[in-house]
Amino acid sequence: MERPELEASSDDAMDSFLEKFQSQPYSGGFHEDQWEEEFEKIPLFMKKAPSEIDPKENPDLACLQSIIFDEERSPEEQAKTYKDEGNDYFKEKDYKKAVISYTEGLKKKCADPDLNAVLYTNRAAAQYYLGNFRSALNDVTAARKLKPCHLKAIVRGALCHLELKNYGEAVTWCDEGLQIDATEKKLLEMRAKADKLKRTEQRDIRKAKLKEKKEQHQNEALLQAIKARSIRLVSEAAGEDEDSASEGLGELFLNGLSSENPYGARLSVDDQGRLSWPVLFLYPEYAQSDFISAFHEDSRFIDHLMVMFGETPSWDLEQKYCPDNLEVYFEDEDRAELYQGSNWSCSCQPTPQQHPILNSLSEARDQIHLMVPSWICFCCTTMKTPFSSRYKTVCLGHDTLGPSGLQPPSLTWETHWPAETDSGSSDMVLKLCGVRGLEKLGLTLHCRQTKRVM
Amino acid sequence: MGGATATSPRGAAAPNELIRMGDTEAEAGPLAGRLASVGSAMPEAHPTAEAAKLLPFLALEARADLQAAAVQHALALTGSEPGRTLLAGQAALLRALIELAVAPAPAPAREATRVLINLAADPGLHKPLLAAEPELLACLLGCTLDPQWPWAEEAAAVLANLSREPAPCAALMEALAASGPGESGLERLVRALCTPGYNARAPLHYLGPVLSNLSQRPATRAFLLDPDRCVVQRLLPLTQYPDSSVRRGGVVGTLRNCCFEHRHHEWLLGPEVDILPFLLLPLAGPEDFSEEEMDRLPVDLQYLPPDKQREPDADIRKMLIEAIMLLTATAPGRKQVRDQGAYLILRELHSWEPEPDVQVACEKLIQVLIGDEPEHGLENLLEVQVPEDVERQLQQQDRQEQEQCKREHQELELAPEPQAEGAAPT
Repeated sequence: MERPELEASSDDAMDSFLEKFQSQPYSGGFHEDQWEEEFEKIPLFMKKAPSEIDPKENPDLACLQSIIFDEERSPEEQAKTYKDEGNDYFKEKDYKKAVISYTEGLKKKCADPDLNAVLYTNRAAAQYYLGNFRSALNDVTAARKLKPCHLKAIVRGALCHLELKNYGEAVTWCDEGLQIDATEKKLLEMRAKADKLKRTEQRDIRKAKLKEKKEQHQNEALLQAIKARSIRLVSEAAGEDEDSASEGLGELFLNGLSSENPYGARLSVDDQGRLSWPVLFLYPEYAQSDFISAFHEDSRFIDHLMVMFGETPSWDLEQKYCPDNLEVYFEDEDRAELYQGSNWSCSCQPTPQQHPILNSLSEARDQIHLMVPSWICFCCTTMKTPFSSRYKTVCLGHDTLGPSGLQPPSLTWETHWPAETDSGSSDMVLKLCGVRGLEKLGLTLHCRQTKRVM
Repeated sequence: MGGATATSPRGAAAPNELIRMGDTEAEAGPLAGRLASVGSAMPEAHPTAEAAKLLPFLALEARADLQAAAVQHALALTGSEPGRTLLAGQAALLRALIELAVAPAPAPAREATRVLINLAADPGLHKPLLAAEPELLACLLGCTLDPQWPWAEEAAAVLANLSREPAPCAALMEALAASGPGESGLERLVRALCTPGYNARAPLHYLGPVLSNLSQRPATRAFLLDPDRCVVQRLLPLTQYPDSSVRRGGVVGTLRNCCFEHRHHEWLLGPEVDILPFLLLPLAGPEDFSEEEMDRLPVDLQYLPPDKQREPDADIRKMLIEAIMLLTATAPGRKQVRDQGAYLILRELHSWEPEPDVQVACEKLIQVLIGDEPEHGLENLLEVQVPEDVERQLQQQDRQEQEQCKREHQELELAPEPQAEGAAPT
């Protein structure tokens, strides 16, 4: 008998509800002019979560937040929530926020090792995509400690080692993963790739080692060849020592030459064991120079001079630098003396030009700066030119040419390559130190482009 | 086609291992004096009865020092063929020794295992050994693959000797299959062989020959050559294993047996496995190649250091050549071997090789690489049906060539130096 009564009650309630609408206006709805903003604040329809949740502005969202992160929930539940949040960020490719979420999950220190292993592994994946391979590797290592058979961690770790070029370790991790799943295709492919890269790397190491050894042997051969010719090596460091340079010092020369010589030319030995030298011709009259990258020890000065001055250089304003009129000098720095070829005489004789460079190099007083013999070359004729006389006078330290005109001039001369070189420039400024002759003449030397004499 | 090659995979070529007893330990107690007479060389009325007297002292519950002395005498007996036969005739004695071989300290497990090694070196004694203890193979396998067992190397040596013959080899396969749930016994064996430091106290070199013997069986080769796994790839670096020719020889023998499977040649020679560099590297010396030649070689063979040494064991060198020869049985295989510069390595090896039979094998392989391709229908040299009379002729020619080669070398050694120089091959 109650049923009919209930039905009657519900009918009455519905009637009263509908009547209420007729008498009262609708309230609590959106305002017409602000409905979009109000719509946005409902969590269900929210397009973008605010960076900070203000309970007054977003009361509904704040309530949900407090439910999710209620401190009274177990650490496992909280960690899992952070893991899910991190996974959502991961899917959106926001790897930085994913790392933050996974880190918060790990901070809960929940008692579930599997969950912690997943958090470490997922954070490793996020770090990997951020390019932080070492951090990712640390995370998968921690994950494996918690769960040794976690295959995803092993795959990720092998990938990290591959990126870090630890190819041997990558192979080891692949092998360990294949112990768990012997037919895991990803590991099989990665192992083959890592093994290939490892072997290529080992080949490159062998190649570099062989190359280094070969260069060392070449340097030793050069030093032996130089010593066999009784040629003395001189450097600033050994300037005070007139004895032969030690092996180590010679090695220093040879190794340093490549970096100091801007033309990259260096002493070399041919199949017959003959040496070719990089040689510098200096023209102090015009502060110019020529560089010959390979001056064979058996070739003659005159042959090079014929080629170099086949055409008049632009700085030879008086066109007087003809091979027949040229004299070649070199200095003995220890004694501050100037020598003309192998002849003490300062007279104008073409004979010295006939000597090959080897004769000059082997003379007792010959010296070589940083493997580059420095030569002085300037013009004179049977009739002494004004510069020639002035140059000799200045070098001799006398005001006038005295009766002992045959005395060798006195000159201190050093040549240094500039520390910095403009490789594109065809001219080069050589800073000359201790050049009393040039200093008194107030000159700066310029170097011409290389002329190679075949 | 060159001389007839082996028509089926062969086991490890290493000679049987015999362990000689060292100096006898100082005898202790009056009972030891009685034991001394058992091992003496003096014949007695009933040798079998004398050997049986060892049995009480080999029991697990016997005193440790008496056990050790008894095992020492058993080891002394195995130094001779009659002694081995005598021991093998005593089933109870064998069972006692087997029990000691797998018993923990202070039982003399190592010496007992050495007795088994010497007994197993005789193929005729395999049957009584297995009859005395049907679980012998399973026990030895357990010891070998136990990372903590200190005498695992000796146990592996017994298995290596036993598995040389087909019947014990088949039984070992069954023991491996039954060795446990989950991963296969073969996988555990390969991992023990390939994992450095698997057993901190036993290097397990003899697992190499064991695997080589097992690879005579098709099921083992199918496992090793499974392209969905990574098994044969893990064996390859061991062809250069520096510390043991036993291990190297076992692995090379295994690889050679795998090369009989010509259907897998493309995979073996391809980038997934890349077997050829690992077969050529032990045959490569410190010779220099031009840059052009260097570029044709695999990366593993480029820029080898001046102190590079070839494989010192001639038998292993020969097996390597045989493996490469098998890979050249098919036309695509020949092309791949040729394209990877194998000829350059073999040319230098041929100049260096001091062993006549290895040099002959090298010559034949070079001929295959630089010779003409076979006629249509004969491309796969492993599938060609050779008539029996032709095969006999080829084998006879092989023997004649080898004899002539040895004779020439002997003449070189015996002849005066000037003649030797004149007779040197060009």
